[in-house]
This record gives sequence, structure tokens and C-alpha cells, in this order.
Amino acid sequence: MSTIIIGLSLSFLLFLLSAGLTLIFGMLGVINFAHGALYMLGAYVSFQVVQTTGSFWMGLLIAPLIVAAFGALIEMAALKRVYSRDHIFQLLLTFGLILVIDDATKLIWGLDYKQVPTPALLTAPIKLFGSHIPAYRLFVIAFGAAVSLALFLILDRSKWGMIIRAASSDPDMARTLGIDVNRVRTGVFALGSLLAALGGAITAPLVPIELGMGFSVIIDCFVVVIIGGLGNIRGAIFASLLLGMTRAIGYTYATEWVELMTFVLLIGTLMFRPAGLFSTKGRAA
Amino acid sequence: MMRKNIGTWIMALIVAAMIIVPFGLPSEQWVNLVSLILIWALFAIGFDLAFGVTGMLSFGHAALFGTGGYALTILTISYQIGFIPAILAAAMVGALLALGMGLFALRVSGLFFALLTLALAQMIYILASNKLRALTGGLDGIPGVPRPDLFGIDFYDNRTYYAFVVVVFLIGLALMALLRASPFGRALRAVQANDTRASQLGYNVHALRQSAFAVSGAYAGVAGALLASLMFYISPQMLHWTTSGDVLIMTVLGGKGTLFGPILGVAVFELLKEELSQITQYWYGILGLIFILATIFLRNGIAGLFEGRDDGQGGAQ
Repeated sequence: MSTIIIGLSLSFLLFLLSAGLTLIFGMLGVINFAHGALYMLGAYVSFQVVQTTGSFWMGLLIAPLIVAAFGALIEMAALKRVYSRDHIFQLLLTFGLILVIDDATKLIWGLDYKQVPTPALLTAPIKLFGSHIPAYRLFVIAFGAAVSLALFLILDRSKWGMIIRAASSDPDMARTLGIDVNRVRTGVFALGSLLAALGGAITAPLVPIELGMGFSVIIDCFVVVIIGGLGNIRGAIFASLLLGMTRAIGYTYATEWVELMTFVLLIGTLMFRPAGLFSTKGRAA
Repeated sequence: MMRKNIGTWIMALIVAAMIIVPFGLPSEQWVNLVSLILIWALFAIGFDLAFGVTGMLSFGHAALFGTGGYALTILTISYQIGFIPAILAAAMVGALLALGMGLFALRVSGLFFALLTLALAQMIYILASNKLRALTGGLDGIPGVPRPDLFGIDFYDNRTYYAFVVVVFLIGLALMALLRASPFGRALRAVQANDTRASQLGYNVHALRQSAFAVSGAYAGVAGALLASLMFYISPQMLHWTTSGDVLIMTVLGGKGTLFGPILGVAVFELLKEELSQITQYWYGILGLIFILATIFLRNGIAGLFEGRDDGQGGAQ
């Protein structure tokens, strides 16, 4: 039972991050290599906020907002200048960002591991179906589900979502209709950064916060989007579940092989469905 | 066109000067620095055949580089094979691994190719540092990588090894120049410019990409072997994703798609690293910032300054 809970909480974390990656790609056509770095930044900033205010909840609230503002700044200062060019330039730029963010983090917080304590409200294990489940894991699942739902409602059902979709499918027409496309793009990148940081802030009590965390997570996210199909939310949900569950089962039964299982999944998918599990058309980016 | 030719000659002269000067200087510091530059330059011109010429952004070249180094190390230390056969084997291993990676990664195109090569290289990094510990020495690496043993010359002296590196580099450079000017090289450029049109013209685009990636892998393998021998040491650090990132930064900084650009890019990268790392431990971040600025403002890199190519050509698609 606890394997399932851990698997689900991992899956939702992966989904939060992949959704941000997919969102930015879908609307801006940019694969954000620095997504993992923003996730890491979210964890560090929430650590700082928790240190200062003493409240986990403030960290969960404020850190994503700070990182979102930082994301908006990046978009306006740098990314905006390379939209008109080949996709490769955007990838290069976000790769450069990883190096800058990593070293800035090292400069501010140093090299030693940071730890955010689990909020007092959620420290006690909960007895569920005859086994003890850490309450925090359940909270991660509920929180992830809530954010996913909110994201879906915003993108699919609200006027904002409609504006975002309009600005991405036909920017010129959207401009003619009086939509400030540049601002929409900044907003989308900020939203993607917010999701990454949210992932970081909510992971903070579960793992030691360190410089390498951004990179290992971005590989997992890439695997999710390759398996699920980039820009495909349904695929991302399924692939996140697949990867999260594989991980959790791996940790329980074959700890040594967990890292490699991810790649076996990836290669298996590519052998049989090169275009991703849910893609109907060929893949070209 | 005129300006372009002159620019290329100037770059060739700079590279030639960089190679010759350490022979005349008494200090060994430059010999070591330029050895390092030439080895990475060999890696970078191979990388650029895939990236700048054919338009495949690989984020997994660290795997090819590192595996080449391990091939030489293991063959010479554990199997007592001579240095020259071992370095040829390193080229072969690099090419074969590239073919293997291409088998999966070339099932997708464009940016997904970058993501997949990154993931595959990460898998090899994990394998080398954990699972294949018996073969690779795990995270500790393998010390005592030998230098060449030819004609009774002592290559353990850094100056003679430098001469060896120069010879290998010049052979590599000449082969690459021929390859890029050949019909094969032109076909690769056609694949980058418009793969649909190239395939309509009757080119086997997939085979061209595979072969470009394999040749690129052979260069990476040789460069990795030379580096391991220069350092007398190899560790999974050579397989780490930052190695793939470094060669990418060098190539873009120097000017992708040009023959001499990546070489100058390597030189600038190594010099900056040398100088910056003496001032601050955050040199990699500063380098990242320089890289971002170059991506935005210097789209054809250093070569663009010489050749005056600021029309945005040479980008994939």
C-alpha cells in the first residue's frame, strides 16, 4: 500500500513539472532546459522562506511567486529576443541559464545540503488499509491533484486559457484582436516557472535540497514528455503515472536498478511507439 | 565571398600560430594548455559535423568522448594492447556507440533528438559509475592511463606528447576538411537545410544522419582517448552531461558549421576557464552568462566576426 502512495506522490510531482514543461513548449515552442533549475530554485527559496518565517505554508505560497517573477524576468530579458530564430537557439539559451542559476545558487546558499522540516500538521502517519502512510505523502497527492485540476480549468475553461491558446495558435490574429501577445508569452513562462517552483517547494520536506536535484529531475521530465508526447497533457498524465509507479515499485523491490528502469521504459517506448504512446502524428519539433 | 575567404585564412593562421608558439616557449604551462585545447578541438570539430553541418543537436556526446577514453584505458592496461591500435579501437568504439545511440535517437528528430541523446548518455554515465564498476573503476576512475610507445620516444615528457597530439589533430583536421568539401559533406548540408527536399532528391536522409553521427562519434572517441592519456587518468566525469554541455558551448561560441570556428571556440573557452577560475570559483556561471549573451548577440560565434556571416544562415531548417 505504501508503495502505491509513494508511487502516486512521485507521479503527481512529475506531472506538475512535466505540465510546466509542456505548457511552455505548447505556447512558446521552447523546450526549457532550465526547468529543473527553476524547480531547484523553488526548493531553495522555500527553504529560505521557511527559515525566515518559520512556516512551511508561507514557503509553499511565496517561493513559487518569487520564482515566477524571476521566470518573467528571464523571458523579458533574454528569451524574447530569440523567438524568431531556430528552436535550437532557445534550447541553447535555456541551457546557459542552468549554468548561471546553478552557480548563483551555490553563491547564495553554499554547497551543503539544506533541509525543510515536514510541517507539524502532517508529521503523524495515517493508518490506511492496515498500513501506516506518511501524511505528508497523502498531502502531496491531494495538492498535486488540486493543482492539476486548477491548471486544467484555467487552460481549458477560462477566458485566460482561451487568450493563451489564441496567442499561441495565431499570434498575428490575436494581436489584431487587441491581445498583447508579448505579455501573454511572459505570463505563460512565468506560469511554467511557478509550476516548477511549486514542485520544488512541495518536494523540499521529502529530500535533501542540493545542487544536483534540478538535473536529475529534468531527465525524468524529458523521459515523461518523450513517452507521453510533448504538448500532450493526457500523455503526460499517463507517462507520469507509469514512471512514478515504476520508480516506487523499483525502490521497494530492486533498489539498485531503479535508475536504469527509467531508461528501459524510454527505450521500450521508442522501439514500439517511436512517436510516443499517445501521439497520432509524426513527431517534429 | 571575398571577405569570407579572407576571414577563413585569418582563422587558419591564428590556429597555426597557436600550435607553433608552444614549441618555442620555455614554459611547460602553454604546452599543457594547448595540448588540452587541441584535444578538445578535435572533439569539437567532430561534434560540429553532427551539429553545425548536419543539424543534429546532440546532448550526448559526453558518452562518446568518455567511452573512447575508457576503451583506450582498458585495452592498454588490462589487455596490453599497443597505443596506436588502442586509439584506433577508441575511434571504432566511439563510432559504434554513436551508431547504437542513433538507432534509438534518430527515431525522433529536431529537439527530441537532443532530449534523447541526453537521456541515453545519462544512462551510460550511470552504468559506468555504478553497474560496470568492475570494468570502469566506478566513481574512483582508473589511474595510470599510459602514453604512446613509438619508435623508442619518451612520450611521458609533456613536450613530446604535445607533438603527438599536434600530429593526430592535424590528421583529424585534414580529414574533416576533405570530408566537409566532399559530396558526402554537401549532402549533409542539404539534410540540414531541408531534409524533406534532400530525401525527395533521392538522398537517404536517415543513413546520412547515421553516418554523420558515427563519424562524429569516432572523433569524440579519439579525443577522449587522447585526453585520458594526457591526464594519466579517467573517471566518469568525462561521461557527465557537463562534458556534452562544454563541447556545445565551445562550438556555438566559436561558430557552428565552420571548420575553424569550433577550434577558436575551444581556445577561448579554455583560456576563459583558466583565467576566470583563478579569480572566482563561480567561473562556470560567468561562462554561462557569456554563452547566453553570445547566443543572443553573436549568432555566428567568433567565426561570424571573421567571416561576416550575420545573415542567420547555417541554422538548422
